[in-house]
Amino acid sequence: MSSWLDYTINGLIVGNVYALVAVGLALIFGVSRLINFAQGSIYLVGAYIGWVAVVQLHTPLPLTIIVVAAAAALVGLIIERFGLRPLQNSVRIAPLLATIGISFVLDQLVMLTFSPNPRALPSQLPDVRFQLGGGTIGPLDLLIAGVGITSALLLFVFLRYSKLGWAVRAASQDRDAAMQMGVDVNRVNQAVFGIAAALGGVSGMLVGMYYNQIDTAMSLQATLKGVVAEVVGGAGNVPGAVIGSLLLGLVESYGVAVFGTSYRNLFAFLLLVVVLVLRPNGLFASARQAPPEPLTGTFIAPSRPVRIPRWALAVAAAGFAILPLFPVSFYVLQTLINAWLLGMLALSLTLVAGTIGQVSLGHAALLAIGAYTSALLSLALSVPVGLAVIGGGLMSAALGTLLISPSFRLRGHYVSIATLAIGEIVSLVILNWESVTRGPIGISGIPPLSLFGYDLISPSSVYWFSLAVIVVLALLQGRLLTSHLGRSFRAIRDDDIAARAYGLSLNRYKSLAFIFGGFAAGVSGGIAAHLYSYINHETFNTQQSILALTVVILGGLGNVVGAIVGSVALVGLPEVFRIAAEYRILIYGIVLLLLVRFRPQGLLGTI
Amino acid sequence: MSNIDRRTLVKGSLAAMMAGAAFSRAAFAQSSEPILLGVSGPLTGPNAQYGAQWKQGFDLALDEIHAAGGINGRKLAYQFEDSQSDPRQSVAIAQKFVSDPRIVMELGDFSSPASMAASPIYQRGGLVQFGFTNSHPDFTKGGDFMWSTSVSQADEQPLLASYAVKRLGLKKLAVLHLNTDWGRTSRDHFVKAAKEYGAEIAVTEGYIAEERDFRSTLVRVRDANPDGLILISYYSDGALIARQARQVGLKQTICAASSVYSPKFLELGGEAVEDVHLGTRYFPEDPRPEVKKFIAGFKAKYNGQEPDAFNAYSYDAMNMAAAVLKIGGIDRRTIRDAFAKVKDVSSVIFGQATFDVESRRVKGAMNAELVVRKGQFALWDGKPT
Repeated sequence: MSSWLDYTINGLIVGNVYALVAVGLALIFGVSRLINFAQGSIYLVGAYIGWVAVVQLHTPLPLTIIVVAAAAALVGLIIERFGLRPLQNSVRIAPLLATIGISFVLDQLVMLTFSPNPRALPSQLPDVRFQLGGGTIGPLDLLIAGVGITSALLLFVFLRYSKLGWAVRAASQDRDAAMQMGVDVNRVNQAVFGIAAALGGVSGMLVGMYYNQIDTAMSLQATLKGVVAEVVGGAGNVPGAVIGSLLLGLVESYGVAVFGTSYRNLFAFLLLVVVLVLRPNGLFASARQAPPEPLTGTFIAPSRPVRIPRWALAVAAAGFAILPLFPVSFYVLQTLINAWLLGMLALSLTLVAGTIGQVSLGHAALLAIGAYTSALLSLALSVPVGLAVIGGGLMSAALGTLLISPSFRLRGHYVSIATLAIGEIVSLVILNWESVTRGPIGISGIPPLSLFGYDLISPSSVYWFSLAVIVVLALLQGRLLTSHLGRSFRAIRDDDIAARAYGLSLNRYKSLAFIFGGFAAGVSGGIAAHLYSYINHETFNTQQSILALTVVILGGLGNVVGAIVGSVALVGLPEVFRIAAEYRILIYGIVLLLLVRFRPQGLLGTI
Repeated sequence: MSNIDRRTLVKGSLAAMMAGAAFSRAAFAQSSEPILLGVSGPLTGPNAQYGAQWKQGFDLALDEIHAAGGINGRKLAYQFEDSQSDPRQSVAIAQKFVSDPRIVMELGDFSSPASMAASPIYQRGGLVQFGFTNSHPDFTKGGDFMWSTSVSQADEQPLLASYAVKRLGLKKLAVLHLNTDWGRTSRDHFVKAAKEYGAEIAVTEGYIAEERDFRSTLVRVRDANPDGLILISYYSDGALIARQARQVGLKQTICAASSVYSPKFLELGGEAVEDVHLGTRYFPEDPRPEVKKFIAGFKAKYNGQEPDAFNAYSYDAMNMAAAVLKIGGIDRRTIRDAFAKVKDVSSVIFGQATFDVESRRVKGAMNAELVVRKGQFALWDGKPT
């Protein structure tokens, strides 16, 4: 019995930690309907500024907090002014991508300045412990709780009763109307980003002190857990974010209690999916709240896609097909193989995200399902590799569609968050389902690609094989887009209410898109498994999902050729920047930001 | 990277990219050029810290190798390509190295998915993949070009089990392990050995690498009522667990795997890691000359910083590479054959390292039983804590 008290206390303590990030995310989402993926990076920056203040300058705690808050707020203002404000008239999806680019840049800057080694960030509070249940808590726990709850309350009061708060809420409901009423929307956004960043910075510092440890990898984890907590509480709802965080902490703690440590995050993401399916606006959303706007649809600026004549495409394909006949190095071929594999994933995502408007952030899960299916079919059942890869595609289509189907009723950002969670769930199931997937040990000795009994081992043959697959998939998808079915997909994306009124069954069409897309992604995963010969639960991770989405947006949503061009660009750029060693991801982030800034509809435009 | 000038590197990269195999072959003919090793490892991304530690160890070893006259008079250098521990990038790097005739041998990668995805390419390309942190039991099964000096967990874990059970007298153990291929393999070897020595395993808990909060896990551990905690962890998570164990009121003896052996473990863990026991391969006051030389050299080169386990692995790896090149020359195949011929290479981890030709690994890691006393690693004096 006393153990349950301890689990409860521990759940609340860690929920407390999540709340600090969630509140900042909720504030920004409330105003700009934007999931700020850079919030975790500001948290990271805050932690390192705190380290400089505490360890180098020996500032007392109140001064440390002020320094960190001020510096982080400054970073927030810079992000708002130079990263996001130029994008306010562009497509809604551009700022989302910009925050991802900004987080790359900030994380890399911190890493280059401070080295990736973890550092100790000593707490400046007296080291006393209070007995609570079987364990103890310290003054830092209380301070974190105090900061979380106080800031949530202050923000609540600020939004409800102050004039600037009204302006913030007005801007969040209808930007144009607010501007007509004389609200300086830019100033509102500045205020919100400044406050959210200050909070994010202070929370990074406090959490660093709490664990006596800061490192450059803390940013993505903070964002992930913060997003989960925020959405559970109701996106944009500041007090809801605190309660959502505590609930998340409790669910994780009880999950550990009942099933063991390795199931912990599984419960966090299951909670998210369940909440999204049952109460899509979060547990504490008010009924009056306007329905979430679709992320794409009407928010995809009507752009004129770049028309590439067919003969040019045919020439390009032929050019790539004869490339291995020239004395190019295997390195170039391997890089292009990677691009074709990513391209298959991007084709899949550009269909579900661009054509039918379901922006998925968990697409790597489809790769993983395809890869494991194909690997296990060929190893355990001795299925010929060519058939096993197709089996991987089919399994990915079936299982992926089944897993994603509960989120069909969601719209806009909520689809992205649900798919993010489903992606994590798939990865955690692979980690824990040891009897089938061999858990963390992974699957080794996967046979190489072969076709009709001939092993495809040389880089040229793998290159031709993957090129052929992607060309066939692209032709099929191009045909699909010009068909009646493709027009129905776009109708659902552009106005789902009108589409429904016209008699289209949304769920059926979304399923069809995921079945087709799942197949392409599964085939890509299957080929990758046979190419690598070894896979485990880390091979297909969240970074892959984010990369795929970047490719799709870069190429132009729904644009088949764009997806392939984007893949070549995003696989190629980091390779070209290899000369820059540690700086290459920084450069990559900056290039990404510039692309979003100057070509938000993607290189080839939305179809 | 830091050991070859930028222009050479640019030239080399261009050469590899522009299909200039012939061009760089011409460059290679000048024997004043250093012998070049390829390193594939994380310089950015979540594992970047380990890549940075590799570099420190490599650079120190290179200084010593050059001071001793290089490889039969020629200098040795390495080209570090950042893989972010991502299999997609490590396979591209593998093709790059394989098709670059200046590269005579490859070292790395760090994680198993990245390393083992690249193995088929190195095997078919006939370039040695020398994975010095690859403990995955299947790594060297990738082919006869895969060699590893990573301490086999089948060797290390029984030593730790013996320390915990036989020497410290612990009878009922809770095992916390990283839920990675390394942590899982280690756990299995540890549990097997500890049971053989007569201990009971009360509970085992696997956690993911990004985990930071262990309080609920530790309540589970407490309820299993063990008399000792075993940490199969790296230093950062190991320090977190030790701190939180004390916070939730666990006072049992903690015994940790050698991977926590780092000054960072003391810095991050603070008072909570006092009296933590750990088995390591070397220790600060180790009388062995190779260890004294390594520690003194490292402190001199890096402003008094203490080296840790990963520094030692990469230092040893570079020395091993030099020893292999001295008898294997610069031909990729004779280099592979030389791995089977090198004998008793001076090593911080093994004392004297000789490959077992069957498993292509080195057996017989050194063992030291340490304990943290007054914020320092010290040889355990046999006194109970």
